[in-house]
Amino acid sequence: MTSRQKRELKTNLVGYSFIIPNFIGYFIFIFVPVCFSFILSVMKWDGSDAPMQFVGLQNFMKLAGDSTFIISLKNTVWYAVFTVPLTLAASLLTAVMLNSKIKGIVVYRTAFFFPYVASLVAVGAVWNMLFQPEFGPINEILKALGVANPPKWCASTDWAMWVIIIVSVWKYMGYYMVVYLAALQGISHDLYEAAEIDGATGLKKLRYITIPMLTPTTFFVVIMLTIQCFKVFDLIYVMTGGGPGRATNVLVNHIYNAAFVDFKFGYASASALVLFAIVLVITLIQLWGEKKFTDFV
Amino acid sequence: MRFRKITALLMAAAMTVSLAACGSGSSNAPAETAAGETKTQEAADTGAKEEKEQENTEASGEKVKMTVSVWDNASSPQFQAMADAFMEKHPEVEVELIDTQADEYDNKLTVMLAGGDSDPDVIMVKNAETQVTMKDKNQLLDLTDYIARDGVDLSLYNGAAEQLQMDGKQYTLPFRQDWYMLFYNKDLFDAAGVGYPSDDMTWDEYEALAKQMTSGEGSEKVYGTHNHTWMAMVSNWAVQDGENTLMNEDYSFLKPYYEQALRMQDEGVVQSYANLKTGSIHYISVFEQQQCAMVPMGSWFIATLIQDKKDGKFDFNWGVTKIPHPEGVQAGATVGAVTPIAINAKTDVPDQAWEFVKFVTSEEGAGILADNSVFPAITTETIVEKLSSIGDFPEDGKTALEITSFAFDRPLDAKMAAVRKVIEEEHDLIMIGEEDIDTGIANMNERAAEARAE
Amino acid sequence: MNTKTSKSRALVYGVLTILAVGMVIPFVWMLLASFKTSNEVFSIPMKLMPEIWHGENYQEIWKKIPLLTFFVNTTKLTLITTVIQVLTSCFAAYGFAKVKFKGRDILFVIYVTTIAVPWQVYMVPQFALMSKMQLTNSHLGLILMQAFSAFGVFLMRQFMMGIPGELLEAARIDGLNEYGIFARIALPLVKPGIATLIIFTFVNIWNDFMGPMIYINSTELKTIQLGIRMFISQYGADYALIMAASVCSLIPVLIIFMLCQRWFIEGIAAGGVKG
Repeated sequence: MTSRQKRELKTNLVGYSFIIPNFIGYFIFIFVPVCFSFILSVMKWDGSDAPMQFVGLQNFMKLAGDSTFIISLKNTVWYAVFTVPLTLAASLLTAVMLNSKIKGIVVYRTAFFFPYVASLVAVGAVWNMLFQPEFGPINEILKALGVANPPKWCASTDWAMWVIIIVSVWKYMGYYMVVYLAALQGISHDLYEAAEIDGATGLKKLRYITIPMLTPTTFFVVIMLTIQCFKVFDLIYVMTGGGPGRATNVLVNHIYNAAFVDFKFGYASASALVLFAIVLVITLIQLWGEKKFTDFV
Repeated sequence: MRFRKITALLMAAAMTVSLAACGSGSSNAPAETAAGETKTQEAADTGAKEEKEQENTEASGEKVKMTVSVWDNASSPQFQAMADAFMEKHPEVEVELIDTQADEYDNKLTVMLAGGDSDPDVIMVKNAETQVTMKDKNQLLDLTDYIARDGVDLSLYNGAAEQLQMDGKQYTLPFRQDWYMLFYNKDLFDAAGVGYPSDDMTWDEYEALAKQMTSGEGSEKVYGTHNHTWMAMVSNWAVQDGENTLMNEDYSFLKPYYEQALRMQDEGVVQSYANLKTGSIHYISVFEQQQCAMVPMGSWFIATLIQDKKDGKFDFNWGVTKIPHPEGVQAGATVGAVTPIAINAKTDVPDQAWEFVKFVTSEEGAGILADNSVFPAITTETIVEKLSSIGDFPEDGKTALEITSFAFDRPLDAKMAAVRKVIEEEHDLIMIGEEDIDTGIANMNERAAEARAE
Repeated sequence: MNTKTSKSRALVYGVLTILAVGMVIPFVWMLLASFKTSNEVFSIPMKLMPEIWHGENYQEIWKKIPLLTFFVNTTKLTLITTVIQVLTSCFAAYGFAKVKFKGRDILFVIYVTTIAVPWQVYMVPQFALMSKMQLTNSHLGLILMQAFSAFGVFLMRQFMMGIPGELLEAARIDGLNEYGIFARIALPLVKPGIATLIIFTFVNIWNDFMGPMIYINSTELKTIQLGIRMFISQYGADYALIMAASVCSLIPVLIIFMLCQRWFIEGIAAGGVKG
């Protein structure tokens, strides 16, 4: 063994030793079940002891002809397309504003973060109340502002998804704001001071220092938000249950129903694999972008 | 710190090994184990299982542990009362209730049974139609031989036991039986000077009465009646005559009932579906707040009203009578559901589980249910007497307990759950006015056919 | 210059205040509702303030569900899971971010993509596995299945990526081995990251409902969210009590957040590392 090989072996071992404590638990409790559920996607299984049947790509073929799957896929994409940028913008802006040495920062920060920690059940009930079509305060305000026919929100197929999007942004922006705040702490003041000497003003500093320095964080936030949006379930489960009709039915609703209402575990896994493939592609694109845009790798 | 990490690693590794061992051990076990064989089967299993088995042998002097899955235990005292009474008769058995909230009950059960757990030993089947899928997946123990051996008299259940049979075998026994009644607020009727709802009304007469009882505006408004957001509040009345079921290929038999529901909503005789749904407003609070004069509801509401009045949550007089009926159908025809009880095919204590099932479905068990104002599947004279003599049960309400025919709200069908999901989505759209009735029913027909075809 | 700054400051305060108020309104409603009678909560038209303040709602919920047991269980689960998660995640994240070993990238992609698989999908296989290992209906089972999430590794890796390579190289030249660099240099630098992971894990485990719902059978092992959901299921019309229970479940998480805030404020002592 050459010394180079030895060195390589040593680095490998050191690398593995860092990974292993997490990896063992991850492997047993997450990776194995996940793999098993992927195998299910080419099987027919109703959750019984009876042996599974191999059905090839049949489950996937069925997906294409399933109107509920198509609708839920569309709804999920629609939801993600609006929720990701809105949440990103809201969390970045509040984080930057909060980072500018203002008084009462603790109060503001807590206010923005509060929705994130609240349990969904209670929050869902409250928002449903606020968006009540007939006597809810939001529509009362809209009427006072001269809107003759305010939307029926959760009782309308056109508006229900918007309610979900608004509540999502409200609930989850606090967390990403905290992530941004943590990252902003890491940006050196010297950079800003140098910029100020060069005559840069607030917006310029944001454009040329803050945002570029936050790139790794932004990649993280975008990836996490995208994944989270494609996985959305609880919020919808609590607020609309996928309704009215199928207006807020998303992919995970579809998977959940396929498994627990129809007992088609193979079919559910096939839908999940599609979800997984979409997210994988998006993530890979973003990881590739990250490599390209950051100098840290 | 480092030492701990190593122990953790070793533990994890050990678990992987034992996992592999266990996995190979139990996958060979046949799906259907005859009652007697189970113990030897299980004893052959490795490791921790043996310990559990030890617990179960009576010779060791320890109690046999048996689990029963139930829902909403704290507000359903009959479950605990049942378990206590059983333990008194069988001191060697310790019954533990596995309590889940009602709306997640079926899902939890699905995971536990599909995961091959021996718990719960005894299963309360919340929605009767799910017993079909559980049987199809070999998750239920066949009780036929037990019933024959112990000479259980099935005629006590007035035909309900036979209705639960699947492929000529008895996998479940009826435990509870609930049906729909018409509840009303006597004080509101007195104040309006209108006579109480009769026990022989058609749905049209009921609608007229509801219109008459509607009064006031804004926050003072009292609605004539109240339709909760369940699809049952439309479909039940459509299947009341026993001619159609929700597994029909054509749902146009629902049309007159949708027309009535929407008409009452448009005329402001009932609160709007959209409001109730988005506000997740519970029928209990609407009735107890005196916002409605009547409410068609299941017999379980009796226990709630008796309890809440005792707790001082409201203080008006309530009454109950037979549910209205369609034109040409006899008064006393009602709709409802049976709650079956079953045994997990993988149970490690089949004999004790059978004793429990036998006990709770016996006349003695029925008496305990009736004491808790719950309607048992056995309805003998004494039981009806018991039910109607409880605390605050209105004297003139006994008529609601006399039924002439009983239609299942949903048929026992393996596809019912899937079909139900689909037609409820369309129901939603019809009730909020996004779809007209004909479109909605056409969609129901089409989508239910897809769901059935799978 | 000066007036401009103060103007823009006023603008920042204005915007922040409006947003903050908007964020908090639902909670104000929740808090007020918890002091109403259940009938008042959904009265039409809506009333903001309770007519009489019903503080006894809070006593009531303590009587109806064994909240103390649930609190103890949830605290135990949350603390242990968070500690395991943070420790193992930091360790693995350093490996992924700063050690170049064979198969690193592919392993990392596997990690990240499993985050994308909704739990509902592998719930049944996972349960079957845990059932075979006799880990159902136990806290250990819940801890093990939640403590090794790939998310934690991903989050910490992103923070580790921010540490400049020169800093580590310098330490290597000084003779520190990788473990030493991890403990003495990397870890202190990602303190804000650790804080965000703690918050994330804490909030998730504290508010998790499906996990305990599926895995826990015995009442004495149940958690606070399970308790609240069961409460809602059984007292569906007692909106005021539901709100009171929700307020109760919120407070501990809020306290944790307030404590972790200090970490952000302190930030990284050596603020200039990235320059």
